[in-house]
Amino acid sequence: MKHPVLESRSRLLIWCLAWVVLATGQALIIHFVYGSNTDMAVADGIITMLLYGILGLAAWFPVRYILSSNGQIFSKVTNIVLTGSLAIVLWLFATRFLVRAVVREKEDYDLFWHTVVFFRIAAGVLIFFVIILLYYLFLSATEMAEKASRQAQLEAQVREGELKMLRAQINPHFLFNSLNSMSSLTLTDPMKAREMILKLSDFMRYSLSSRNEQPVTLQNEMESLRLYLEIEKVRFGDRLVIEEEIQPECLPALLPGMLLQPLYENAVKHGVYESTDRVVIRTTANKEDENVVISVTNTIDPESVVTRKGAGIGLKNVRSRLELFYGEKADLAINRKEDSFNVMIKIPFEEKTNQ
Amino acid sequence: MKKIRVLIIEDEAPARELIKYMLRDHPDIEVAGECADGFCGAREIKEKHPDLIFLDIQMPKLTGFELLEVLDEKPEVIFTTAFDQYAIRAFELNAVDYLLKPYSKERFDDALSKAVSRIGKEKGEPAMIEKLVATATEAEGYLTRIVFRKGAGIKIIPLNLISYLAAEDDYVMIYYNEGKALKPKTMKYYEDHLPPSLFMRVHRSYMVNIEHITRLEPYSKDNYVAVLKSGEKIPVSRAGYKMLREKLSF
Repeated sequence: MKHPVLESRSRLLIWCLAWVVLATGQALIIHFVYGSNTDMAVADGIITMLLYGILGLAAWFPVRYILSSNGQIFSKVTNIVLTGSLAIVLWLFATRFLVRAVVREKEDYDLFWHTVVFFRIAAGVLIFFVIILLYYLFLSATEMAEKASRQAQLEAQVREGELKMLRAQINPHFLFNSLNSMSSLTLTDPMKAREMILKLSDFMRYSLSSRNEQPVTLQNEMESLRLYLEIEKVRFGDRLVIEEEIQPECLPALLPGMLLQPLYENAVKHGVYESTDRVVIRTTANKEDENVVISVTNTIDPESVVTRKGAGIGLKNVRSRLELFYGEKADLAINRKEDSFNVMIKIPFEEKTNQ
Repeated sequence: MKKIRVLIIEDEAPARELIKYMLRDHPDIEVAGECADGFCGAREIKEKHPDLIFLDIQMPKLTGFELLEVLDEKPEVIFTTAFDQYAIRAFELNAVDYLLKPYSKERFDDALSKAVSRIGKEKGEPAMIEKLVATATEAEGYLTRIVFRKGAGIKIIPLNLISYLAAEDDYVMIYYNEGKALKPKTMKYYEDHLPPSLFMRVHRSYMVNIEHITRLEPYSKDNYVAVLKSGEKIPVSRAGYKMLREKLSF
């Protein structure tokens, strides 16, 4: 993010003007209220406020970091207070040193300094809080604008890409091959055919309903994925082995519906489709700090000459959805090995609230 | 009467079961074998000489199209495939029969009787399958690997292992990390079907994998040679040199 003051010329001008006014005010007060000579009043006013002006600009960086971090409110306040104290101490020493170097009557200045040092600290604290407030307002405004634009982008994508998304979510190959398997089972094993029809119906229902932006729980998402994998298992039999290890505390975690679907479709496409041997698709989910880490791994036949064609579109889809939903708080990592392919997704842990 | 022998090449068990089930009504037909992948298919065709094969297109290791490419004797083929608009277009352009999954018994019987009526007759156009494969790959984009026969087996070479191609009369010799292979294709075919981001026709008779080039050396006036990682040297024409310059921006 850019610096709120430095990024625009007009804001920089206002910033400078504010400090000129403050410097003038201070010089006038020192001269007329305290009664010191003009030289000292002017020197003290200019140097005090010039230093604070620069420190105030620099304070943006730690302040932004502290305010946009994920910590508790208490630790944020503590950090802000620490930053402020550090800035004010720095400012006091630098001011004293510089003004003392400039003025002629050094003893007079020492005396003046000790008399007003508490006023000075109070003013410093006050100004610091004004600056924090301004930065805070700026940050929230920016965040809100970002959120709004993300929301708008999301809506646009949902609207324009609804069909495209659906097509990406349910691979027509999968659909028609499953229908063919069912057609076969109606002749050879009608009970199993019925079971498969029910599974496919449930899966279709889930994927159609997940088109809206309403997040779903990991539990729901996994139920649908199990349906999907079970349907594929009817087609591929022993060639497909499904393993799962999901921490129970991850189950209520919320995520956008059908987010994980492309990962499994990829695993089937590049694992099972390309292999004549057994392929294991293994899912794990763990809670780590404030995040949920979901990992999907499939074994690959090391002898298969992988056709890279089409690879990556599904993952790109997942990545862009993560970005739209979570901004920079989510992460996707791909780990390709000789005999396995792994995708790891990290999303902030958010639980369903009962509303 | 001699029975018609069919081979089912299909990677999904339920799909194989369906074909077998539908063949029950045809006492004149005998299932000679079943295969779950293309390698098995190639082997079984060689051993059992079926009259007709049911061939799935999407299979592990070797696709249905690639399997046909490496066959010497080509039995009658009925393709079976799920939704695939490109493949369908390819089929429609050609007379080979296909079954679109899921299919009805009537459609199945129809395709079967058409295929049976062709068995033993002079094959109309031997280049038909070739044309079909070409149309299908054209519609699906560039090749990602090249398949050929090696001894009794089949070799699948991914593009990154291929260093260059050289024209040899009506054939193209493909040089890869472990040797070379002759394909009954033209340079023009490979120029059209290999990704231009990787392969460049640097000479009338040569196409080179640009990732294998280590350096270019002047050879004579206006002529260059490309030195490959393997140490081999490939002639580069003036036009080829210009193209390489643009591509590799030096």
